Amino acid sequence: MVRKRLNRKEIAAAAGCTLLAVATLTFYVWHQAAIIQIGYQTGRLEEKRAGLKEDIKKLETDKATLLAPDRVDRIAREELQLVEPKPDQIIYEGQRPSDHHD
Amino acid sequence: MIDLGPSYQSRVRKRTIILAFFFFLWFIVLTLRLIQLQVIEHRRLREAVISQSQYERPIIPERGTIYDRHGQILACSLPAPTACLIPNDDDLPADLYAQVERLKNIVNLSGKELQNIKSRIDSQETFIFIKRKISWDQAERISKLNLNRVFIQKENKRFYPLGSLAAHVLGGLNIDGEGQSGVELQYNSRLEGVKGRSLILKDAKKRRYDWETLEEPKPGQDLVLTLDETIQYITERELERAVREHEASWGTVIVSHPASGEILAMATCPTYDSNDYPPSPPELGRNRAIQQNFEPGSMFKIVTATAAREAGVVGMNDIFDCSKGNIQVAGWTISDHKKMGVLTFTEVIVQSSNVGTIMVGQRIGQAKLFRMIQDFRFGQKTGIDLPGEESGIFHPLNKWSRTSLAAHSIGYEISVTAIQILQAMNTLANRGILVPFRITQPSFAPTSLTSDIPAAGVRIISERTASELTSRVFEGVVAEGTGQAAGVDGFSAAGKTGTARKLDQELHVYLASRHLASFVGFVPADRPVISIVVVLDEPKFSLQYGGQVAAPVFREIARRVLLYLRQAPQFSLDKKTVTAQLRSHDLP
Repeated sequence: MVRKRLNRKEIAAAAGCTLLAVATLTFYVWHQAAIIQIGYQTGRLEEKRAGLKEDIKKLETDKATLLAPDRVDRIAREELQLVEPKPDQIIYEGQRPSDHHD
Repeated sequence: MIDLGPSYQSRVRKRTIILAFFFFLWFIVLTLRLIQLQVIEHRRLREAVISQSQYERPIIPERGTIYDRHGQILACSLPAPTACLIPNDDDLPADLYAQVERLKNIVNLSGKELQNIKSRIDSQETFIFIKRKISWDQAERISKLNLNRVFIQKENKRFYPLGSLAAHVLGGLNIDGEGQSGVELQYNSRLEGVKGRSLILKDAKKRRYDWETLEEPKPGQDLVLTLDETIQYITERELERAVREHEASWGTVIVSHPASGEILAMATCPTYDSNDYPPSPPELGRNRAIQQNFEPGSMFKIVTATAAREAGVVGMNDIFDCSKGNIQVAGWTISDHKKMGVLTFTEVIVQSSNVGTIMVGQRIGQAKLFRMIQDFRFGQKTGIDLPGEESGIFHPLNKWSRTSLAAHSIGYEISVTAIQILQAMNTLANRGILVPFRITQPSFAPTSLTSDIPAAGVRIISERTASELTSRVFEGVVAEGTGQAAGVDGFSAAGKTGTARKLDQELHVYLASRHLASFVGFVPADRPVISIVVVLDEPKFSLQYGGQVAAPVFREIARRVLLYLRQAPQFSLDKKTVTAQLRSHDLP
């Protein structure tokens, strides 16, 4: 059997091609991994944003609950001991007190 | 070069052939396997790959928020956790049952719910709801159990921050977020929006790493109601107090702005908390302001009086002899609540004499009274933008009996809803123009409650008749007639009381012991800002007349609402002197 000796140029060309292929594959894999990582990050940020939006809405709803007329009425009457004004205690806008109490 | 001889070369060739044969065989096997995977099982494997690496998910649009006229939130959607079971193909039903059993006490699963889940496990369903829209506390307790097939997902849950306030107007949703009653049903398609679709890509550990929106969702639009949170609260509070004090079966009140037809408050008692929808018993969910037919009794005399004046058959000072205290109509004896002597037309209505009103009705005649009832749109829905409105019961003229003219004159043999009666009274308040009701408005733009005559609407009676009846008859009802308890200090009010005996459905007789007490009116009488109808069913104890039971509710609501609307009194409280008026009647 006769073994043919490869010259240096051929070895260099083969090595170069292999290196290029490996580099391309490595870049491709790195690129894909990076995209996936960014996908995870974006997903987390999207979830965070949605969570914050939910929190805002929940706080607005809590505010509405706290300002409910029956609650305000109860606190005014029971805790602050406020009472409804008597008719002669009310002065209307654009009206002099004497207009009303004469 | 080394010569290894012919036998060696032959051996090498033989080995090469064998090796080549095995390589060829391996290639054939690979090719066949590829054909099997890529061609024969292509469809199944493709589906398997897709299901392992990606899934489609609907994007639920956010349901629109419902606001009152000032932008106060009445209903909104918030995320709520839902416990679900997602079994794998190789899971044993017994293991899945065990997981569900462990959380049954946390989410309070009933025996029926548990049975339903088990039967779905047995049918090998791939996704099973355990309990939907639970509390965050329950969700946390479930998560701590670390059950591998139980997952917590987010859904939207409707939340009503003001609890029972305006419950009958708002209505509610079913578990799938579809409107079932009230404005939630009426405007469901507008509020719910349109679902979108997204494609989620996941890795081997089922973690989401990318997604794609296949179809954008369209979020639901917000809805602004004409209701005023404060007026609604005042109305509900006063109604609840009256129903409790008189032990009435139910009561309803509507407050409106006559010139625009805007509903400022609509209440029914007893009520329920909108957050516990559907109400139990379901009867609690009925909006009696628009869904309850009843015989109006004397409140209906506003129609008779209007018909008489429009037909020109009765003068304001015409005399009617009511001294007998009763009248016979086709064998039917109709009485007054007391003997009243000889009355003018004005006094007949002011004192609410049945005898006198029947005499007025006889002058009008069947055809003209029928036409006036039709003109006031009785027997038809008012068209308010709420679902399930009743149209009342108004028989055609050819079905009228010999007693029908008399009965209709005093509000019997006809059934109406509270909103229909208010519509009739608003027509008088608007000086003859019927303005359709509405409960929604386009935006929060400040709305002025001016008393101007409406631009929109249909004239159904002359301005003269409406003004004359208001100032000479219906103001008189409040000033010196049956509705004195409706008088609001400092303001002129116009209205009409009603006390209708209830019909026993089995015996077909009107019972003296069961009444429906009512009052409808508006204030101030000369430039109406608000109109109110109050209906209380079967008040107990000695007070049963509309003037005793319903009129005070009108007075208290009107007094507080006028104060809230910063309406200066027309008269000083001790002397009837005219005081300054505010020019603008903007809502605060």
